[in-house]
Amino acid sequence: MLVRGCGGGELRHSLAERTKALAAKCHALRSPAREQRSVERRRPRNRKSQTRWYVKQPTWRLWGEEKVDGAVYTVYLKKVRYHRPTRSASSESDDEISHLEWETVRVRFVKAGTVERLVEALATDDGELESTYVNVFLATYRSFAECGKVLDLLLRRYQALASEDVLPATVDTSQQHRKTLVACLHVWLDTYPEDFRQPPHHPALQQLLAFTQLHLPGSELHSKVLQKLAVFSAERNGCVGGAGVCLAPGMRVLQHHTSAYRLPHVPHRHFAEQLTRMDMELFKKLVPHQCLGAVWSRRDKDRSHDAATVLATVNQFNAVSFRVISTVLVEPNLRPIERTDILAAWLDIARELRVLKNFSSLKAIISGLQSNPVYRLRKTWAILSKEKAELFEELARIFSEDNNRWAQRELLMREGTAKFADTVGENDRQLQKLLHERGSPGVSHGTIPYLGTFLTDLTMIDTAIPDTVFDGLINFDKKRKEFEVLAQIKLLQGAANAYHLPCDPLFDRWFDSVIILDDREAYQLSCQIEPPTNPPKERRPKNINNNSQGHRKNDSIASTSSSNSSQFYCETDGAGNAWKRDSLERRISPTRLSHGSSSSSLPSLDVSLSSANSGQKTANGKAPATSPAHPNKTGPDFYIIRVTYESDCVETEGVVLYKSIMLSNNERTPQVIRNAMLKLNLDGDPDSYTLSQVLPEKEMVLPSNANVYYAVNTAYNLNFILRPRKPQTEAIVNGKAKNKRT
Amino acid sequence: MREYKIVVLGSGGVGKSALTVQFVQGIFVEKYDPTIEDSYRKQVEVDGQQCMLEILDTAGTEQFTAMRDLYMKNGQGFVLVYSITAQSTFNDLQDLREQILRVKDKVDVPMVLVGNKCDLEAERVVGKQQGANLANHFDCVFMETSAKAKISVNEVFYDLVRQINKKSPKEEKNKKKPRLCRML
Ligand SMILES: Nc1nc2c(ncn2[C@@H]2O[C@H](COP(=O)(O)OP(=O)(O)O)[C@@H](O)[C@H]2O)c(=O)[nH]1
Ligand SMILES: [Mg+2]
Repeated sequence: MLVRGCGGGELRHSLAERTKALAAKCHALRSPAREQRSVERRRPRNRKSQTRWYVKQPTWRLWGEEKVDGAVYTVYLKKVRYHRPTRSASSESDDEISHLEWETVRVRFVKAGTVERLVEALATDDGELESTYVNVFLATYRSFAECGKVLDLLLRRYQALASEDVLPATVDTSQQHRKTLVACLHVWLDTYPEDFRQPPHHPALQQLLAFTQLHLPGSELHSKVLQKLAVFSAERNGCVGGAGVCLAPGMRVLQHHTSAYRLPHVPHRHFAEQLTRMDMELFKKLVPHQCLGAVWSRRDKDRSHDAATVLATVNQFNAVSFRVISTVLVEPNLRPIERTDILAAWLDIARELRVLKNFSSLKAIISGLQSNPVYRLRKTWAILSKEKAELFEELARIFSEDNNRWAQRELLMREGTAKFADTVGENDRQLQKLLHERGSPGVSHGTIPYLGTFLTDLTMIDTAIPDTVFDGLINFDKKRKEFEVLAQIKLLQGAANAYHLPCDPLFDRWFDSVIILDDREAYQLSCQIEPPTNPPKERRPKNINNNSQGHRKNDSIASTSSSNSSQFYCETDGAGNAWKRDSLERRISPTRLSHGSSSSSLPSLDVSLSSANSGQKTANGKAPATSPAHPNKTGPDFYIIRVTYESDCVETEGVVLYKSIMLSNNERTPQVIRNAMLKLNLDGDPDSYTLSQVLPEKEMVLPSNANVYYAVNTAYNLNFILRPRKPQTEAIVNGKAKNKRT
Repeated sequence: MREYKIVVLGSGGVGKSALTVQFVQGIFVEKYDPTIEDSYRKQVEVDGQQCMLEILDTAGTEQFTAMRDLYMKNGQGFVLVYSITAQSTFNDLQDLREQILRVKDKVDVPMVLVGNKCDLEAERVVGKQQGANLANHFDCVFMETSAKAKISVNEVFYDLVRQINKKSPKEEKNKKKPRLCRML
């Protein structure tokens, strides 16, 4: 028998409930009975039913499709119990109840519709709030309508309902409908306040204000709107405090005054925690709907700026990988065992990340280690201890691409909202050992996922499922599909609140100070460390200019002076100083860093490099020599120098902060100063700075247009000071005269 | 049945995912679920032989630059895609190819150069001859395709299968060399 549309209480598949279900599943999944899953491939059907939470309930049956003007519905028949006030509804399992106590209800879901119809569907036919639908709608509407348009439709609908000459019998329903619309507005304002920012005039919010003044004066919604407006305009007037401040309230600052942040001898756990803290801040700020394929993956439509929070996460991921690559490679003259120790240190950090369930930095480190320039160092890997090598394989297995990243997905399902990391495969000896050692951890952790999997899924959904169906109706089923992924992200964001990690500004400084190598630089360094046994015969275009070695320095200068150049030294010469994050230390995006180093401070193994990196080149034009074009060469044609900035800045008092930059053999003073300024985040004219090398007895100021590569004194450490040029003090050579600006 | 791992590479927006979906799914189906494990797998018959193709699409993760090496290490055949409507996507391929050769440490890697979106003739900026020249330079096969209009999509993948077969006729039983040549 067919009854009306769904009643409100029956269909509450709110996010909260879905979340609970997921969480419950996470726990259920951890039962030992499911341990032998690795045996064979999972059946996809099974997985599907896990995600279709509202479709495959045992008492649901697909009835068909229903087309009305402007919308298409999927209709299900659902068995529900008669309401029996004498019995408590939850006391018995469904199966025990006789069929006589069931009736069939017809339930319909919007499959596709016009924007108008989709807005109407925020309430059920009875005017009840359809919370799942509201969640899906609000999370995804931006791909088919503007904020203003949706608001307009909502308000119009309200007004229409208010002014309708309703029959007395339907007064209740009409009121219910309006109540639901107001509830939707509340949810919208609470969940996506950013939609209403629209600087500088906040038109949608103003419109809403006008509406509440007229229809709902003094209501909760009205005051919420006023409050939001006040917040936005306060922010516009620059009253926001704390932007860029690293310390979250109540966080403890670890003081590491004297410790050198120098791999391999770093506190692994601390490094893992700090990486996690960085990731967590970005992950919590992530706006899930920016991950939607239509936003993130449509760079051809130049909408990438709409995905700033996604980009920030990706940049951080890359930054971590870059640091792995760079710290392993940047010192060409390490003994193999020393380099192996650096690999091992990263593996130890990675292991701690696994315990912290930070899959983002974990994968970033593994990716760095698997990147070609590092991975190809066979001799370095060969002397890694057996345990470490095993650990590496176990950690890498988590991110196997096999079977559509099944291992990773499964792990996230199991541990996503669980408190601790406790999932290991039977073959994961090292991880088993680790978890055993730790016993039951006292602190619970959140989870930080590797975002790429979600991004791929959302991109593929966006590619595979059409935006519109039935002659232009918005395909809302696609939005539901997308929401399944967004809901997982939101769920994990919630779980990330479980992290309580201290903030160590010195770590951030170390992080920023590590030099970034681009692809070619890394490969070149790698080939210096271990020349390719079988250098690939590059097929080069005929017109390539191969005479680039003209100005090459042929003597091999071992860069002993730059040893440890990738490391950050913190030298303290006095009382403990609490640092603040100052403007110098604001994080530069890795792309910029990388670009900075690649376009300006490249190793000059090939002159074509700088042009190759600074712009587009036509494919038929010359190609930069990337492979070891001159395998018999042993020394680098660049140095890595460390530059500090001297100023009176109180924050850095007593501490010398060095940044590493690459210095190639054709760079002149202004260029080197420019590179250093970029690294140190200084603005202005290179001519207004001087650069001097720190020598034991004196400083040597570099002439204003010297070829720095040849001018430096390689007998000593390549430590440099950049300082503002004092008027009239061109050629001071001696004395460590402090340039106190007066 | 022999398995083939194919990696689709190219700048964002050139149509990598569209090609992948078009090949794997045939038609755009409503029930498509990208999160299940065989969503990028397809069994095909090439020259009378059954093959299982697993397509690794970097869709959505193009900007995770450090991961490219891994994709490349795992891939046996490569589809290098540009869009005939965007010159920059064409220019980007030189670097990608070099990276592949470095990672594979080989000169000869099964590869197809693909100029996608050939249905958009009116917006063409990369000439067919340009594509052919680059392919010549790469010493690989060249095809223009349209994921949208379903032009030459399957051919790209079939050709790769043939190339892989030619270069390594038999399934190597012992999956490559051990990861780290560690003899303890
Ligand atoms: N006209 C046309 N558009 C295409 C074609 N292939 C992809 N597109 C569109 O180009 C955009 C980017 O495609 P996508 O597959 O996401 O590119 P990807 O970033 O390389 O994966 C989407 O809007 C596609 O619909 C094609 O062959 N012809
Ligand atoms: Mg894509």
